[in-house]
Order: sequence, then C-alpha cells, then structure tokens
Amino acid sequence: MTRTQQLLQTDVLIIGGGATGLGAARDLAMRGIATILVEKGDLTHGTTGRYHGLLHSGGRYVIKDPQSATECAHENRILRKIMPQYIEATGGFFVTTPWDDPDFGDKFMQACHATDVPVQEISVDEALRREPALNPKISRVFEVEDGAADSFMSAYGIARSAREHGAQILNYHFVKGLIREGERVVAAEVEDLRTGEIKRIGATWILNAAGAWAGKIAALAGLRVDVVPGKGTMIAMNHRMVNTVINRCKMPDDGDIIVPIHTVAVIGTTDIAVPDPDVYGIEPDEVTFLMEEGEKLIPGFTRYRALRAWAGVRPLYKQEGVTDDRDLSRAYVLIDHAKRDGIDGLLSIVGGKWTTYRLMAEEIVNVVAARLGNTTPCRTAEEVIPGGEAQQLYWLGHNLAHVEQHQAFGELICECELVTREQVLDAIAQSGAANLDDIRRETRLGMGPCQGGFCTYRAAALWSEWRTARDHDVHVPYNGHGNGQHQPDASEPNDPGTELLRHFLQARWKGLTAIMWGDQLRQARLDQLIYLDTLGIDLLPDAAGEDPELVTHHPAIATEYHV
Amino acid sequence: MTSRMIVIGAGLSGLMSALALAEAGLRPLLLAKGYGTTYWTGGTIDLLASRRYPNMPLHTALTHLIVAQPEHPYARMELDGIAAAVDRFRTLTKAAGYPYVGGLERNVVLPTALGALRPTALLPATMAAGDVRLGGEILIAGFHELRDFFPPMAAANLQAQHIPARGVYLTLPDGYQRHDYSPRSFALWFEQPNFRQAIGQQLRTLRGTATRIGLPAVLGLRDPLGVVNDLQQISGAQIFEIPTLPPSVPGMRLMNIFHQAITVAGGRIQIGSEVRRGLGAEGVLTHIFSEAAAREQRHHVAACVLATGGIAGGGISTDFRGTVHETALNLPLHAPESRQAWFASRFLHTEGHPIFSAGVPTDDQFRPLDSTGHVVYANVMVAGSALLAGDPVEDRAVSGLALTTGWHVGTLLATSLPAQLAT
Repeated sequence: MTRTQQLLQTDVLIIGGGATGLGAARDLAMRGIATILVEKGDLTHGTTGRYHGLLHSGGRYVIKDPQSATECAHENRILRKIMPQYIEATGGFFVTTPWDDPDFGDKFMQACHATDVPVQEISVDEALRREPALNPKISRVFEVEDGAADSFMSAYGIARSAREHGAQILNYHFVKGLIREGERVVAAEVEDLRTGEIKRIGATWILNAAGAWAGKIAALAGLRVDVVPGKGTMIAMNHRMVNTVINRCKMPDDGDIIVPIHTVAVIGTTDIAVPDPDVYGIEPDEVTFLMEEGEKLIPGFTRYRALRAWAGVRPLYKQEGVTDDRDLSRAYVLIDHAKRDGIDGLLSIVGGKWTTYRLMAEEIVNVVAARLGNTTPCRTAEEVIPGGEAQQLYWLGHNLAHVEQHQAFGELICECELVTREQVLDAIAQSGAANLDDIRRETRLGMGPCQGGFCTYRAAALWSEWRTARDHDVHVPYNGHGNGQHQPDASEPNDPGTELLRHFLQARWKGLTAIMWGDQLRQARLDQLIYLDTLGIDLLPDAAGEDPELVTHHPAIATEYHV
Repeated sequence: MTSRMIVIGAGLSGLMSALALAEAGLRPLLLAKGYGTTYWTGGTIDLLASRRYPNMPLHTALTHLIVAQPEHPYARMELDGIAAAVDRFRTLTKAAGYPYVGGLERNVVLPTALGALRPTALLPATMAAGDVRLGGEILIAGFHELRDFFPPMAAANLQAQHIPARGVYLTLPDGYQRHDYSPRSFALWFEQPNFRQAIGQQLRTLRGTATRIGLPAVLGLRDPLGVVNDLQQISGAQIFEIPTLPPSVPGMRLMNIFHQAITVAGGRIQIGSEVRRGLGAEGVLTHIFSEAAAREQRHHVAACVLATGGIAGGGISTDFRGTVHETALNLPLHAPESRQAWFASRFLHTEGHPIFSAGVPTDDQFRPLDSTGHVVYANVMVAGSALLAGDPVEDRAVSGLALTTGWHVGTLLATSLPAQLAT
C-alpha cells in the first residue's frame, strides 16, 4: 500500500458524513466557502443510516423537550419544501391504548399548543377507518404532521448538491489525528481507507459533526465532549400494516412508535447507553420486547415477518446532573472550544435529530462564516435540493411506476425493491462503490424479504463486470449486443465481485440473526441452498490478497455486534 | 371412506416414497402445499461431501459416516439401501430419456455458476462434460437477459483455480426479445431448432480454442439431451449445463418425470393441499386434515410418509419466542433450546448453524420417537430433510438424503404393514 503524504488546504473541514455534516457542507459551499468533508465509512455510515426514518412533527418532545419540539415542527415544514423527493407525508397519530394513562392526552394537547406543534384530536372511528389495523381498544387519537424520510437517499442528494456548489466530499476517509499548533487546531491527518494513503488536510476551521463519535474526535485534539451513545434498536417488518406514523400517547418510552417507510413498517426503539459507539449488539430480549409492544398497537403484529433489526447510537450530549439517559435533551448543542477550552479552530456540534439537521448546519455555519468574514446569508431554508424523479413528495409507488414506464421488468436486479440494472450500474459508477452496502444504501437493493438472496449475486457480478471493463478497457455491454471479453490470467486472484459477495453475506448475517425466525429463517435457509448448495461459495479459495479498493474489513469502520 | 397410503410433501423424498408405494400397488395419495424444494435445487444428487470426512472417495466417506454416526439415516439404510435407491432413480430417469451418470464410488466435481468446484454423486448427462478432470479450456456462455448467470464472474474464478476459462455473452436472435425473461422461457426456446441453430453458430464463432462450453441449465424441458447433442453438433465443442438460481429447470424436468411415473403406477398427486394436523389413537395415526381453498379435507390414513422437508421446505417452523414446531403432524423434534443457541456468528460458518440441524428423531424403521424414546405413531415414517440428520447443507447431502430415505421408507412401508393395508 502506498503511504505518501498528500497535503490539502481548505477553509473548513467537516468531520462526519451524516445529515448534519452534509447539511453543513452544502450550506458552506452555497455561501462560497471552500469546504472538505471526510467520513470514515460511506455517507450515512453512522446514525443517519441507522434510525427509523421519522420526520418528526415535534409531537414526541412536546412535554419532555419543548425546545426540541418547536425546532422539529419548524424544520418539518422547511424540509417538505426543500427536499420533497425524500419525504413521504404519512401524517402521524398519537393513540391512547389501554396500557396508557387516559389523562395524558389533555396534557399532550396543551403542550402541542404551547410548542407550536400542529395537532388535532380526531375520533377513534375516524382513526380506525383510516388505519383499520390499529388496536380497536384505543380510546383517544391525536393527529400530527409526522412523516417518513429516506435518510440514505437524502444524504446522497445533499452531497450531490454540495459537490455541485464546490464542496469536496470524501467518504472512506478516517481521521487519525488532529494537529494542534499551540492553542489552535490547524489540520487533520486522514487515512484514505481505500488506498492507505495518508492526507494532511489543513483548515482554518474544523467542524466536528461526528455525532455519537464526536467525543472520540474531540479527544484527538486533547479536548472533552461528553457524548453518551444511546443505542436504539429497531425492527423493520415486511408489511406496511399502517400508512400513518403511530405513536403511543404517553411519555416517550421503548417500543412506542411504528413508522411506515417505503415497503416496510419500522418499530422502535430501545434506549440503552453504551460505552463505545463502535461496540454494541442487539439483545434477543430487546427484540422480544419490541415485538410484544408492537402487538399492543397493532394486534397480530408478531405474525408479520420481521425483515431486519438494527441499532443506531443517538449522539446525546451529557449535561451536568442528568442521570437517566432518556432524559438527556434531544436538542442540539454547539460547543465553541475557543470559548470553553481556549482552543481555537474547532467547533463541535452534538445532539439533535435528523429532522433538525438543516437548522444545526445553519447555526454552526453562521458562526464559522462570521469568523471567516463571509456575510453571504444562509439559503438552505429556501433553495430546493435538486435531483430525484420529480419535485414532489415521495410515494410508495414511485419505483413501480418507473419500472412500468420503462417496461423494465426484464431488467430488475432486485425484485423485492424493484431496483433495475441501470440503477445498480449508476450507483456503482457514481460512487465507485467500495462494497455492496454502498449500493444498498443508494438503491435499497437487498432490503426486501429475500434478504438479498437473489440480488446480491447479481449485483456482485455486475460490479465485477464494471470493474473489469474499467480496468481492462473492455466494453461489457449490458443491454445490447456484443461480447465483452477479457481473459483473466491465473495470476489474478478470485473474481473481485466474489469477495464483495462473501463480505456482504457475512456482514448481513449479523443484522439478521436477531430477527431470524418463521419465514425469515426459512428464507435464510433458501439463501443457504443458493449460496452453499448451488453456487458453492464456501468452496472457493480465499482471495490471494486484499483488494485495496474494497473497504470491507477495515477496523475503523467495523461495528462489532454481539448477538 | 377407505383408508389410504398418504405421502405428505412433493420434494424428492415424497416423490420417491410415492413412487415406491405406487409401484407396490398401494395407490398412494401424495398431498403437498406446493411443488417443494425440487424447483430450488440444481438437479444433481449429492450424497455426501462433508468436511467431517475429507479427502476420501465417496464410498469410503459413506462407510466412515455409517460407522461414526449410527443414528444417521444413512447408517440405518446402510450402503445397500443407499445403492438401491440410487439404482431405482437411475433407471427411472434413464427410461424418461434424462439419464443420470455417476454413482456411489466417488464424487464428480463440477463448476458452479460462481466458478466454484462442487462435488456431487449423480448428475444429469447434460452436465457430464463439466467434469473438471476432463481438462482443456472451458468457454462459459450466457445471456445478459438471463439475470441469474454471469459468465465473466464464473470464468474469472475458474481461472483463479488454474482452470483455463473464458466468459462470454451471447446475443438473443431477432424475434426473441421480450419485456421479461425467465429460465423457463429460455428452456422452451432451446426446444426450437431455429433458436438452437442461431445459438450454436454463435458458440462456434466464440469458442476459439475451447473444447467445452458451459451454459446455464436451461437447455430444454422435455428433451435436454437432444438439445445438448444438437448444440454440440453445431458448435463443435462439448456442451454442459451449469445449475443456477431458482427456479431450477432441472428441477422442473425431475418433477415432470416423477409426476408421470407415479400417476402411471396408480398414485395420485394433489398439490395445493397443505396438511395442517393429524389425529391418532393408541399409537396409530388414523386421520390427517389438509386444507385447500380454505376448506378442511379429512383423509383416513392407513399409513403415512412424512416428507415435508426441514426449515426450507416448510416441514419445520419457528417463531419469535424460540418455539420449533413440526408443521403437519406436530411430531416431537430435536432442536436447540433457545433462540440464543440457534446461530453461529458468521453466515459461512464451517460448522453450520445449530437450528438447521433440527429434525424429527426416529427409530431404525424411520418411525417418529417422543422424548422418552417411544414410537409416536407406528404407521408413520419420516423421510428427507424433516429427519434428524445433522445439517444436510453442510454435509452436501440435501438431495441425496431426500432421494435415498424417500425410496427406502416407501419400500419399507410397502413391505412392513400388510395387516393394516388389507383392511
């Protein structure tokens, strides 16, 4: 591996490729400020890619966290305008079940009014007419403006827009160190995980937007940011048994929300403080608990098929004197290390919600811009993020409409999520995908009930053909005629797609075992029949050497699950 | 209603059992929810290629297993029982014009669609030229339109294992473009002489120095051997099929052959009838209840073969509380205690995952046992993946176990229960 040191210089370096960091990159670039963003994994590798996808109305925080509620309600309206293609306007209900305090509803209504969160009480009959799967024993229903958001695709959209405005977005770039000159942080030492190359990125300002990892980043500069990584486990069920976000009308607690998103419904979440955002697992009793709570909102919930379980770590900022982690504020905090620690050149932003990412970005960029003497106003609340099929709110039928319009049934690589060959090849070409997860995040490939049984093999082969064509300048046509031929010689290791495939199968298993029973277990056995019995992937020799372009096993981005 | 011989399940084990019973003149009724896992597998018969018995010929490995695992179904059949089932299968497929080659002596190694080298005991003659020992350069050819077969990937992996190979894509002749394609549509096209001619010519042009050409296993439904012969004539190279993702055309061929043979011998196959429960008295199963079109149908049972499969086939189901359940007759199972113990941490774990070894324990007559070791129903026998037999995927024994136990149990039942059947 090459380890030459490359020097880059920029006005602002952002650490963290989640919603907040990307939002800040776009905002900075739109104001004409030179910006580089580094992310150790793929974009959304952290918490942005591991949440339930709720666009908050603010309802969940009206009592416990009123400031956060108001911010959510405000940003909710803005996001629907500036990024409609990533948002489904499902609406949301807060319902009082027989297990909830019936008087809580009145407090809830008052608090909504006090925090400017739009709300109206509707009759139980009306709610059941709209959502017949809901528990008929609910006694009160409050309607709010919750929605479902695609945090993966929106991140790619924000990143594209940021790039168009001149920002550099570097994924698979791991920050190994922050370099101080006296009382100022002046640069970061960054490793490109694909090439092993070390880069020194000098910056006038560094924004620590690493979320749950913000404490680890601050520590690199010898500073302290107390982030409590609050692990939340979620389960995606293979059915939209509701088309409205359903919340329990009570103080926020474990397993009290169901979010319909794309083809699934997600039940969340648990909240367990973990010592390290890179080391956590999903406990079987968390899963059992979530399933049983789901049954209270939707009778028969446990009979649906659980598709996958995952956990994300909330970036909760620990103030003094708070003991219960669920009581930590969901509001965000901007830490100016010059003021707090006497160390210039570094700002940290922690806490907050996906729903408030734009506001957080605006606030931190305002501070940086002022210090750089830039007076261009923020335009992210008005300027629409380009891209997507149409500038309208997303709806479930989009993919199907696309496939029907293009008569692309024969081009489907992932039948579950209706992803075509063209979409997979686009995702590969645009991102240079370093593993199949990158393609998954951009296209939803492999997120359906077959667990990637069919499409993983296909996507790995397409990736492999794309790579061969690129490296050997051989045209491998995919929708026409001709015979792209490249004759590999025996000195070459395994087909590169095979390593990709093997890694994906292994990594995905970790997320599946927690919810593997019933039809999912049966599906897993079918996938074993395909990959072991028919394809014999276990019989292939291990790759001769590591493929430097595949970022699959690097410790910096390996999350250890203990199932 | 008169009592009947009932076979539950339409996979290889159920089909072999039904054939044995039909040929014994017992007019079995085969009930199944669907067509079974036959359509999911590649059509080879894998008897054993286990990591536990490495580096030895198949015959020796089977002998070792029989000694080392006396409760394994293979040990209960012994080599003679295995051989008898294999013989019957070979005569059946040969008579149907779809002969299998290979046997109990040693495994043949064939390339997979991923370019791995996979051992198997019996293979259709249409796959025989894939045998890696034949040497020479291999051309792997497929179609972009068939999304489950990628020649360059298979070829690259073969190359990495020092087998000269190239991967190419063929062009669909004019008039064959569709909005969608399936393995079955390709199989039907290969039965057309014009299509074969066009593809054979392309293969001839592309083959270069290759002496053998591997194609996806879609070379016709009714007369694949004829298709292979024809393509060999035109291309000038040996042709072989490589199984790929479901639905499996070789599986469809087998299903057709069995359907014909069982029906001719007096059996009946009723697909779409899921058996939901059984009723017994004094250690004898008297009735089973199947469901079709939301109605329950009651069958009076003389004797019964349970061939519903394992977790893949649907014979064993599980739930989120960790319960493991035999779905047709609610027979006792051996399974790991709790969900925590079901899985190893990696998908490709060499020891397999404990939950996939769940199965119905039986006596040496293949009759189901309860936890105290007593026979649950004296007139029920278990075959195939529902049996307690380790993890057949890890042992590379899925189809072999199904085929041999199915035949063995069918013949055993036909000879061992004359008294009940006379009534």
